[in-house]
Amino acid sequence: MKITPQLLGIFTNIYGSYEAMTISRALMIALVGFMTVLVILAIIALFIKLIAFIFSAIEKKNEKKIETIITPVEHSNATAPSVGVTLPETESQGELELIGVDEPTAAMLMALVSYKTEIPLNRLAFRSIKLVEDE
Amino acid sequence: MELITNLLAGLWESSGFALLTWQNLVMIGVAIVFLILAIVKKFEPLLLVPIAFGILLANLPGSGVMDDVTLSQAFGGDGSLAGTGSWYESGVLRILYAGVKSSIFPCLIFLGVGAMTDFGPLLSNPISLLLGAAAQLGIYVAFIIAILLGFTPQEAAAISIIGGADGPTAIWLTGKLASHLLAPIALAAYSYMALIPLIQPPIMKLLTTKKEREVKMTQLRKVSKTEKIVFPVVVLVLIALILPSVVPLLGMLMLGNLFRECGVVERLSDTAQNAMNNIVVILLGVTVGATANGESFLKVQTLGIVALGLTAFAFSTVGGVLLGKLLYVVTKGKINPLIGAAGVSAVPMAARVAQNEGRKYNPTNFLLMHAMGPNVAGVIGSAVAAGFLLLMFSN
Repeated sequence: MKITPQLLGIFTNIYGSYEAMTISRALMIALVGFMTVLVILAIIALFIKLIAFIFSAIEKKNEKKIETIITPVEHSNATAPSVGVTLPETESQGELELIGVDEPTAAMLMALVSYKTEIPLNRLAFRSIKLVEDE
Repeated sequence: MELITNLLAGLWESSGFALLTWQNLVMIGVAIVFLILAIVKKFEPLLLVPIAFGILLANLPGSGVMDDVTLSQAFGGDGSLAGTGSWYESGVLRILYAGVKSSIFPCLIFLGVGAMTDFGPLLSNPISLLLGAAAQLGIYVAFIIAILLGFTPQEAAAISIIGGADGPTAIWLTGKLASHLLAPIALAAYSYMALIPLIQPPIMKLLTTKKEREVKMTQLRKVSKTEKIVFPVVVLVLIALILPSVVPLLGMLMLGNLFRECGVVERLSDTAQNAMNNIVVILLGVTVGATANGESFLKVQTLGIVALGLTAFAFSTVGGVLLGKLLYVVTKGKINPLIGAAGVSAVPMAARVAQNEGRKYNPTNFLLMHAMGPNVAGVIGSAVAAGFLLLMFSN
């Protein structure tokens, strides 16, 4: 069984012998080859842009939903996270009051909240973290 | 007494010393130089050590590691004894060499490369793809020169792919178009990849101004996991529809990348990146090296191939840097042209060279992640170029 018939060897099929490769043909093939690579990679670049655009649109839509869900909690002045202005990755919002909680535990809790809500830490504002003793 | 003399004479005649030719000695010398470069200078040791040892094994006369008993001719392609027999009676490296001739090894290497590659920098800056395409210029320049030098179109295509700076792609295409040139082409491709830190910087310096080399690029955007998962599938389908001949290479590359990014097949990703890739590198390196038998390797033609390979490499660097300069102008100085040189695939050496060169002129500059974009684009670009050449010149 012949696999991928007529797909391969375009030049060989058309011109046959090695002697058929003149310098002008070599130049043309080189030019077409280079343009093929450029065009294919440019098309991929456009596709990447398109994919990025689609996903950022979807992400924005999802963020709006999350914002609507989280906002009432923020207004209730509870210890839950709130969505604020996006800060650089190395910065956080406001000051945090720790009541009966050490810093490593607080950091772990903040990371957990960020992970569970899928909101980056630099977009969360924690007001206080308080230890609640079992009665 | 006569018996002892005859036995000693027989022992001498069957020993390696009696069979040793000057070509074998030269190639043993080449193997030792490669081993020194790999072990002492750390030039691509993962590839150069197996290749160098393969050269050494193939040039130990009478070892029979590359004998081919299935050929119905007096001598095998590498000058070793051959005849008619079952395939399993051939030399051990000749049997393993089937993985190279059948393209299995290059494709499996691409699976490993895909699993190791983070396309994030490319996705965050898609313009990198153009740099990766421009850095394939050397392939076509070398092709024209090879035709002028009298190589057949198939040979010229196989030689020119050295400019893609991608070992598996070079082996894949050469195995299909001009398998008799596999040893010099594979050795030239891997040697030049190892020598990238020496070849590229003078060209980069020559083509750019100090101001251009000092450009600091802005931070890349964060790419979502979903984008990274969608990318290999979409790109593969897209390229396969345009250029089906490239599917064996790109298909494996993208499969490996999907293993990495999808997050549900950690074990497969780990195997592709480490165990499998290492095994294939050993087999590929040793068997490719073993094709460099002195009698068949030391020819004037080999020198021509080595020179053409260097030309291809240099022009590929030129192509990438020149487009980088153009983008520097178009983006009003936002792109450092040095990252264009990383468009020759050679991952991640070429990106490291761009990073090191950038820091020489601006110690606070950090170009590595920006250079990784064109670098991985170069892998795709060289595979596409190989697919095009195969499409044109397959017998």
